[in-house]
Amino acid sequence: MGATDVAPDATTPSVVCSGLDIVYTVFGAKQKGTDTGGELPLVERLLARRNPVSSVRKVHAVKDVSFVVNHGEAVGIIGRNGSGKSTLLRAIAGLMPPTNGRVWAAGRPSLLGVNAVLLTGLTGAKNVMIGGLALGLTPAQVRDRYAGIVDFSGIGDFVDLPMSAYSSGMGARLRFAISTAAAPDILMIDEALATGDAEFQARSRDRIAEIRRDASTVFLVSHSNAAIRESCDRVLWMEQGRLVMDGPTDEVVRAYEQSHRKATA
Amino acid sequence: MTIGSDQVVQDVQDVQEVESGEDVAERNRPVALGPEEAAALARAAGLEELGVRPGLRGYVREVWSYRHLVWHLSSAQAWATNQNNYLGQLWAVLNPLLLVGSYYLIFGLLLKTRGGTSNYIAFLTIGIFVFGYSASAIIAGSRAVVGQIGLVRALRFPRAVLPISVTLTQFLVNVPAFAVLMVMIPLTGEPFSPHWLLFPVALLLQSLINLGLAFFLARLVNAARDSANLVPVGVRLARYVSGVFFSIPHYAGHGLVSALLLYQPLAVSMTTAREALMDQYPLTWGSWVAAAVWGVVLCASGLVFFWRGEGRYGSN
Repeated sequence: MGATDVAPDATTPSVVCSGLDIVYTVFGAKQKGTDTGGELPLVERLLARRNPVSSVRKVHAVKDVSFVVNHGEAVGIIGRNGSGKSTLLRAIAGLMPPTNGRVWAAGRPSLLGVNAVLLTGLTGAKNVMIGGLALGLTPAQVRDRYAGIVDFSGIGDFVDLPMSAYSSGMGARLRFAISTAAAPDILMIDEALATGDAEFQARSRDRIAEIRRDASTVFLVSHSNAAIRESCDRVLWMEQGRLVMDGPTDEVVRAYEQSHRKATA
Repeated sequence: MTIGSDQVVQDVQDVQEVESGEDVAERNRPVALGPEEAAALARAAGLEELGVRPGLRGYVREVWSYRHLVWHLSSAQAWATNQNNYLGQLWAVLNPLLLVGSYYLIFGLLLKTRGGTSNYIAFLTIGIFVFGYSASAIIAGSRAVVGQIGLVRALRFPRAVLPISVTLTQFLVNVPAFAVLMVMIPLTGEPFSPHWLLFPVALLLQSLINLGLAFFLARLVNAARDSANLVPVGVRLARYVSGVFFSIPHYAGHGLVSALLLYQPLAVSMTTAREALMDQYPLTWGSWVAAAVWGVVLCASGLVFFWRGEGRYGSN
């Protein structure tokens, strides 16, 4: 299906994930609702209040996930909010160390997240340079591609303003342009395209197809099943941190939608 | 996962045959991939394991390959530092000057801590400007990772780039202040001397010390956020005991306490700067060797300490 026949090495894995577990710490996670101090006598109330000084909690976001993805595949990750999709993506990007299990990947992964802005205080132009260098380009390469990046992002004169002045859609567009300019071996997109307008979404779909032709792997996290259907030929369905289904887009997305209908029925 | 019969009928056109949700789930069950099997597969495909710390030598090489990122990040951040107000870069010069004025008022005129110094204004100015660089580098360095979490979460690069670039940023931010210092020193009556050429060397050694401290603090603060609150307290304490506005030997004598105060890294940085710029303080091997040893030891041990935490940065 899709790019698999175009890519020269479509049968070799580009990502191998085995028994991946991720537990992370959240700060400032004190639960307001569980505070029953109001009904307790004064002393207990003081003690109860003393108790969660740190308000730090452990979240087990990804539980025992294993899969193999080949070069040139486009994989969608679906699931409800908080099912561990984004955390899984960050682990495959090498941005979050596994608590248990191991992850292997080919070459340079590039993650495009919802908070697309790199350095808010700096201009778009500086962000292009810094983002490009961080992706492993040389300064000369970034300068060569600069015009193309700015052009593709379509932000025009805003490139000389600090990114704090950008709308979320503009930030996402610039980040997408930077991330794809370096021809990443693995491109991961986490809902970032949702903020762009229709015209930009169409252009980014073309760019994703182009990247896949270069035998790069694409991961797409999205709540839009239409977007997943359009760009992906394989889908991972996450549920409460576990991988419940892994197969062709049609079948998995349909099963996912049916589980919704059952839940609401 | 059973589906109601009405939905199955809808699906028949696409799937061609009636099948239950269990069949779909069964067919698409995730692979059960054992650790050995996965490792063999990854090895055969020549994949790189993620979240694993590289060897120290490989790490240093990797950091070196990102030197352009260090420079662009530092210069951009330094330029942005004073951009958010009307006078802009002028503040890089105005701030330290105002600080010198207020310190002179308090310590020179009201408290009279000028004992043991022949040119108190030069003494004080060097102290404030040199210590100011260390203070801002240490505070910014401690937040090098947690303060740029956006970068850490989005891009994979050796994290040692961050403390290095933050230290360089603070150096660049302080360059105008050092330029002002070089103008003020002759104005305070110091005679020109070839020793002035050693001032950049003193700043280099001080930068190594700052970088070493930034490595240590950046990892500590990433591991335990709360420690970030202690850093400014520590810096303030250091400001009062490091001889910024008083001569340590004059007030603390020549005992063990005085030696400890005098040879701690932040005080040594000021001593070498004063020896380079002030007539009253001849060059001494003791302080320059101490500065060099502190710089090399802190920098090397700090890098090792920071490297040992690689793979954990930005994980919470």
